[in-house]
Amino acid sequence: MDAGLLEQMLLGALLGLSVYLPLRCGQLSLATPGFFAIGGTVAALLSTRVPALAGSGSTYPITSVLLEMALAALLTGVLALGLGRVVLRLRGIYLAIATIALVEILRVVTLNLEFTGGALGIFGIPQPFNSAAGYAAFTLALLALICWLCDRLEKTRPGRAMAAIRDDELAAASQGINTADTKLLAFVLSALVAGITGVVAAHFLNSWNAKLGNFDASITTLAFVVFGGSRTWLGPVFGGLLLTALPELLRPVGDLRLIVFGAVILVGPLFFPQGVITPELFKWFKPRIGGITTAAAQGVKQ
Amino acid sequence: MEGLLQLLFNGLSVGAVYSLFALGYTLVFSVLGVINFAHGAIFTMGAYFTYLLIGGAVGANGLLAGLQFPFALPFWLALPLAGIAAATVALVVERIAFRPLRDRGSDPLLALITSLGAGVILVNLIQLLVGAESYSIPVGTLGSLPAALSIAGAKVRTVQVMLLAISGLLLAALSIWINGSRSGKALQAVSEDPVTAQLLGINSARVIQIAFGISGFLAGMAGGLVGLSISIAGPYFGIGYGLKGLGVLVLGGLGSVPGAVLGGLIIGLAEACVPADLSGYKDAVSFGFLFLVLLIRPQGLLGRPQANKV
Amino acid sequence: MNLLQLEGVGVRFGGLQALQAVDLEVKQGEIFGLLGPNGAGKTTLFNVISGLTAPSSGTVRWRGASLAGLSSHRIARLGIARTFQNLRLFSSMSCLENVLVGMHQHARQPPLAALLQTQSFRRRESQLQQEALALLDLFQLEATAHQDAASLSYGDRRRLEMARALASRPQLLLLDEPAAGMNPSEKDQLRELIRRIRDQFKLTVLIIEHHVPLMLGLCDRLAVLNFGQRIALGSPDQVRRDPAVIEAYLGGGT
Repeated sequence: MDAGLLEQMLLGALLGLSVYLPLRCGQLSLATPGFFAIGGTVAALLSTRVPALAGSGSTYPITSVLLEMALAALLTGVLALGLGRVVLRLRGIYLAIATIALVEILRVVTLNLEFTGGALGIFGIPQPFNSAAGYAAFTLALLALICWLCDRLEKTRPGRAMAAIRDDELAAASQGINTADTKLLAFVLSALVAGITGVVAAHFLNSWNAKLGNFDASITTLAFVVFGGSRTWLGPVFGGLLLTALPELLRPVGDLRLIVFGAVILVGPLFFPQGVITPELFKWFKPRIGGITTAAAQGVKQ
Repeated sequence: MEGLLQLLFNGLSVGAVYSLFALGYTLVFSVLGVINFAHGAIFTMGAYFTYLLIGGAVGANGLLAGLQFPFALPFWLALPLAGIAAATVALVVERIAFRPLRDRGSDPLLALITSLGAGVILVNLIQLLVGAESYSIPVGTLGSLPAALSIAGAKVRTVQVMLLAISGLLLAALSIWINGSRSGKALQAVSEDPVTAQLLGINSARVIQIAFGISGFLAGMAGGLVGLSISIAGPYFGIGYGLKGLGVLVLGGLGSVPGAVLGGLIIGLAEACVPADLSGYKDAVSFGFLFLVLLIRPQGLLGRPQANKV
Repeated sequence: MNLLQLEGVGVRFGGLQALQAVDLEVKQGEIFGLLGPNGAGKTTLFNVISGLTAPSSGTVRWRGASLAGLSSHRIARLGIARTFQNLRLFSSMSCLENVLVGMHQHARQPPLAALLQTQSFRRRESQLQQEALALLDLFQLEATAHQDAASLSYGDRRRLEMARALASRPQLLLLDEPAAGMNPSEKDQLRELIRRIRDQFKLTVLIIEHHVPLMLGLCDRLAVLNFGQRIALGSPDQVRRDPAVIEAYLGGGT
């Protein structure tokens, strides 16, 4: 498999996770591309305008990339905290539309400000890796980390609270769950994941412009989760990997490939209303994975 | 004074298109409670249909390269026909993207995804068939009408006047239909309370089809009008309208017909007020409004607040 | 001091006065019944107490302090739990998970320990699971612990909601029509169960029900609502003989 394609798939999986987190609370937020764009812009600006970060080697130092990630996380986190408080009061389609508006406002502002590169964007973003394989390894490690965090979330109190809010927000509040804070947590985590992913993407793509955080991206990333499954982290990862690869896999079909992609998201929800990775399917996996981890845990106890 | 009148005219004619577009959104929302994300694509198809019907020729790319209808209809005939063609497309979209989900009792938010899939298919189908280049209307389409008129000292393009006149006519016709005819009242009933409407003998499925049909007709006409007055900038030009239409929808109030009209005109005028050196930000006007409205008054100007039942 | 006190509580929805100047006190440890025909305002009263509906007038006091302006999750944390007339279970979760969510307020774990799955974290999780299973057992649901809540029978789901409400270790339990859909022998079992959990968990119970004999046999005191107003208050014997109550149920129509 082409390492470049693999990298794109991994980025897609990360974005899928970003959309999945608020959805776990029953919140349809389409803001992921906006935060993704912020992350990418931070990386693009820092790596091209701050010579101190460039290091002395032939490739851009990883430590600088990590620093960019930290800053992107800070920026997206703070923004999500501020906006989230306000936006999460909305429900259902109103929330979705508000987040669409957010993404569009960000896109237009980035497009028009000279500081962020204007219409042409920022070019010549330095590379921390010499090959796509290097990127893929780095992104795979990042994805594994985020998946692990999501898994921990799902199995503990905050994750259960989120699922409860999705099933019945009113009943969840009656059980003492602070629904506003929990929804905000999911929204902020979603923004953090998107922002960090944006940093990696900016370096990988070598250039960054405002078009990369747009409405199309909102919907394709949503499709990752809807198609892949929204009950567990495995769903958006599966959806992200597959649906990112699909247009490439369909290259032999040539000009029809986007039509086929459209057909997939048209027909997907009809046949897989809960997504492909349903809880039943996941439970089939669980004993096999669970058996191994329980044995390991018991081994540790002894 | 002329400057102000000019601004007013520009704003209103742009706003009229937004209103027509948002009306389509609002009709579907009022009966189904979901947004039809294929609406922008249907609008685009209306523009292309109009172009073909007035005798335009298809460019060199695409499978239908060189296609040109053997006739050239006058614009006042091409527009409604394009509208009907677009309405047909809308009905097809309803049948494949919306109805199956409803029949299964699926989460209505899934319709956002499926309608989007339908939109992607339509837009790429257009690209496949006629290529991605832009088209502008052939000279002489307006027949014997002059290219520009002078009204109270302001210079306005004839096409803008036409746009306003036709939009106004359509809106009037729509209100008469909604309030006066049986099917129009059935639509209001279904949007108010679909279950009770069904119990009263109203065929909800038929009403939904009617809503889609009219929505498609309006989108098609709006697309044709935009194509005639500006140009068709390629198969993706409807997407921007699709998004801005959301802002209009929310400003006016989801599900409110007069709201869609009011919202469209307000945003059209607001956009016209953006000074020339900040013109890049025009697109953000609609979203700025949308955001503000959602924060302060989510039900929009004329919409109904949502109630929570325990 | 009364545990719960309602002073002149009124609720207005547009043109409809759902509750009017309702006064009520619930004493610690008692089983207090709320009777009345359909539409009398009983569930609205529960909604006011649990914070889902704000009263248009009057005050609700918990241990003397007003609950005005508190959100429903704050009120839950004060020790008031409830079940719902129309059953609001978490349908995508298992019975056990539903009860675990019920235990939310008391299940807090340090985030780092949770992340790294330390010994102490796992020990505590296991404790919580045991407690949840014990509650399910109390309501005869242990066998279905890992089944999806949505797949249970109606009676089981009603009991699950009660188990979930109890999981939050409340001081006041609001039960909204817990006997709905039950046959006579099930109602008897329910009566015993409510008495038992009141004694075992040192609860106060406020219960809405339609079935008059059940309430007369179970409650320490009763209030009767009709058209949003309190028309009777007292012991079961007093209420049973109150002419206004007889009129509300038998005469006049609902």
